[in-house]
Amino acid sequence: MNLIDIIDKLRTKIVKKIAYGILVLLILADFIIPRHEIHFFGDKVPGFWSLFGIISCVLIIVVSKWIGQNWLMRDEDYYDK
Amino acid sequence: MISEIFNIEFFHPSAYYIIGGLLIPLLKGRVKQGYMLLLSLLAFFAVVNMPHGVYGVYEFLSWELTFGNVDKLSKVFAYIFTIMGVIGVIYSFHVENDGEHLSAFYYIGGSLGVTFAGDFLTLFLFWEIMAFSSVFLVWYRKIPSSVDSGFRYLLWHVIGGLILFSGIMIQYSVSGDLSIQYLPFHGWWPTDIQSLATFLILIGFIVNAAVPPFGAWLPDAYPAATVTGAVFMSAFTTKTAVYALIRVCAGSEILIILGVVMAIYGVVYAVLENDARRLLAYHIISQVGYMVAGTGLGTQMAINGVVAHAFCHILYKSLLFMGTGSVLYVTGTAKLSELGGLYKTMPRTMIYTIIGGLAISAFPLFSGFVSKSMTVAAFGEEHIMWAFIGLMLASAGTFLHTGLKVPYFIWFGKDQGIKAQEPPWNMELAMIMGSIFCIGLGIFYKPLYALLPYPVHFEPYTAYHTWETLQILLFTQLGFFLLLKKLWCENTISMDTDWFPRKGAIVFMWFINKPLASFEFNLIGEVYEFIVQKPVLRVARWFRWVDTFIVDKTFSEIANLTLIWSRMLQAIQSGQIQHYAMIMVAGVVTLIVIVIILP
Repeated sequence: MNLIDIIDKLRTKIVKKIAYGILVLLILADFIIPRHEIHFFGDKVPGFWSLFGIISCVLIIVVSKWIGQNWLMRDEDYYDK
Repeated sequence: MISEIFNIEFFHPSAYYIIGGLLIPLLKGRVKQGYMLLLSLLAFFAVVNMPHGVYGVYEFLSWELTFGNVDKLSKVFAYIFTIMGVIGVIYSFHVENDGEHLSAFYYIGGSLGVTFAGDFLTLFLFWEIMAFSSVFLVWYRKIPSSVDSGFRYLLWHVIGGLILFSGIMIQYSVSGDLSIQYLPFHGWWPTDIQSLATFLILIGFIVNAAVPPFGAWLPDAYPAATVTGAVFMSAFTTKTAVYALIRVCAGSEILIILGVVMAIYGVVYAVLENDARRLLAYHIISQVGYMVAGTGLGTQMAINGVVAHAFCHILYKSLLFMGTGSVLYVTGTAKLSELGGLYKTMPRTMIYTIIGGLAISAFPLFSGFVSKSMTVAAFGEEHIMWAFIGLMLASAGTFLHTGLKVPYFIWFGKDQGIKAQEPPWNMELAMIMGSIFCIGLGIFYKPLYALLPYPVHFEPYTAYHTWETLQILLFTQLGFFLLLKKLWCENTISMDTDWFPRKGAIVFMWFINKPLASFEFNLIGEVYEFIVQKPVLRVARWFRWVDTFIVDKTFSEIANLTLIWSRMLQAIQSGQIQHYAMIMVAGVVTLIVIVIILP
């Protein structure tokens, strides 16, 4: 089986479901993972970094796009005009 | 003195690149490729065999120049620069243009020269060699936009170099000493002459580190460079600047703020970017932000983290530039809006690029994990939580773009039916080497830690730390797929701080052409004619008489001589900045050679 077939096999619904399963597992396992260094409150809350990850991602996309569309983005020939 | 150059203990690796490189245009085909590979390997082994100490000290006028200051810090940077030299040389085997090879060789030689410089003057000389040789990597793309970008690149670096030079001169006038010292800058603004010197040196360094607002040259020039040129450029300029910052300015608090801002700034622009190589260029700024911030913190752990991060960064960032460069080489575009569906034709290139993407995102078992986490953890240790959170936020953004957006829109996304194939064997070999390093360093990180300047008391693979990273990254991935619709790329560019010089230049030229020129012509011209020109003309007539009959005879002979001289000089005064840049590099190299060879 060549590389392209493997990639095609990975693009199915089942793989997607497994991926969601892994996400749930990540949060569940965070309840039992030992904490060795606690720097701030976030280190004590199980699943804190999951929440941090998705909120960061959404914030970065939404805020950047907003700044971009209202201010920074220009046509490609902007500097030549 | 000659014997000292060929001293077995210390042989300056730059010599292989700068002097050895001169033979490249004389060779052809496989012999040329073999010779280039040999030089880059010799440079690497020169670094391996180098004992710590101070070598290559030469008197020049009343100064003492030191070319070989070898300690743990300079050696680890020299290691990665020479490793990158080998990978980059293999990646550019197929390039026909000898000029491109030469500029890359001088560029690498310059960065090694900076690394081993023991005094500010030597550092400055090699600093300028880097700027003036790397600009050719942009110009050799030979399209109009890259010519323009190259000019802007050169302007930024000339200005940065001048600021650095003025700092060095003030430092010399204050201390009477040119040797590179530890000169941290505290506060926001220079308060006395000594802090002015350190401030200017710091500014000179951060221009090259692409710290905003002085960093706009980077996303402007790198995507405009040649396919292979961008690979070299992604590795050397900013990391040489990070090295200089560690050596001179570690612990300057202002760098913490600049670094964290930089890390997030790069991520924001990456969201908006359509050109894959420019997106990666913004991520250089983001990643160098971690290094600048860590340098500002200046603890042993932070400096170790910064050095390790620079080491890994050069490898994964060059791998990413090699991957997207291959796509550009094969398809002729690097714009995400024009690409898609390439997994059917370039699957291996996709895998290398994804490995680079996972490494830059600090995925466990990849190189970024063992280096980035040390820098970030150093902020945790010092309880500077705003910086810690800021850098964590930037890590999510890094994975979002480099690990997900770039591979998704090039290899999956909307299939554009582009005809493509895997790149030439040498490009693929270089990418395989880069991939091996990215995975290898993530698993066998102890040898890298042993190279770091301070003893390492940091264990990356603790359960909590691994879990924390996995949670951030995988939930970022969830966010990516949920918001995929928002991420489709538009065919736009984004304004950056180079808006001021670029749009400013238009206003400036209008001012020169319209109001200033007409004011000059109408008002000053009139006044000039009546008050100055007419009386002067009368006096001049008298002088002309004296001149024609007495002075001219004497001078006509001298003039003839001058004419012959100026005809000779005319050959180098072509009016083309490309030629001036070449002469500049040749001049600096000749100067260095004279210093070394003259007793």
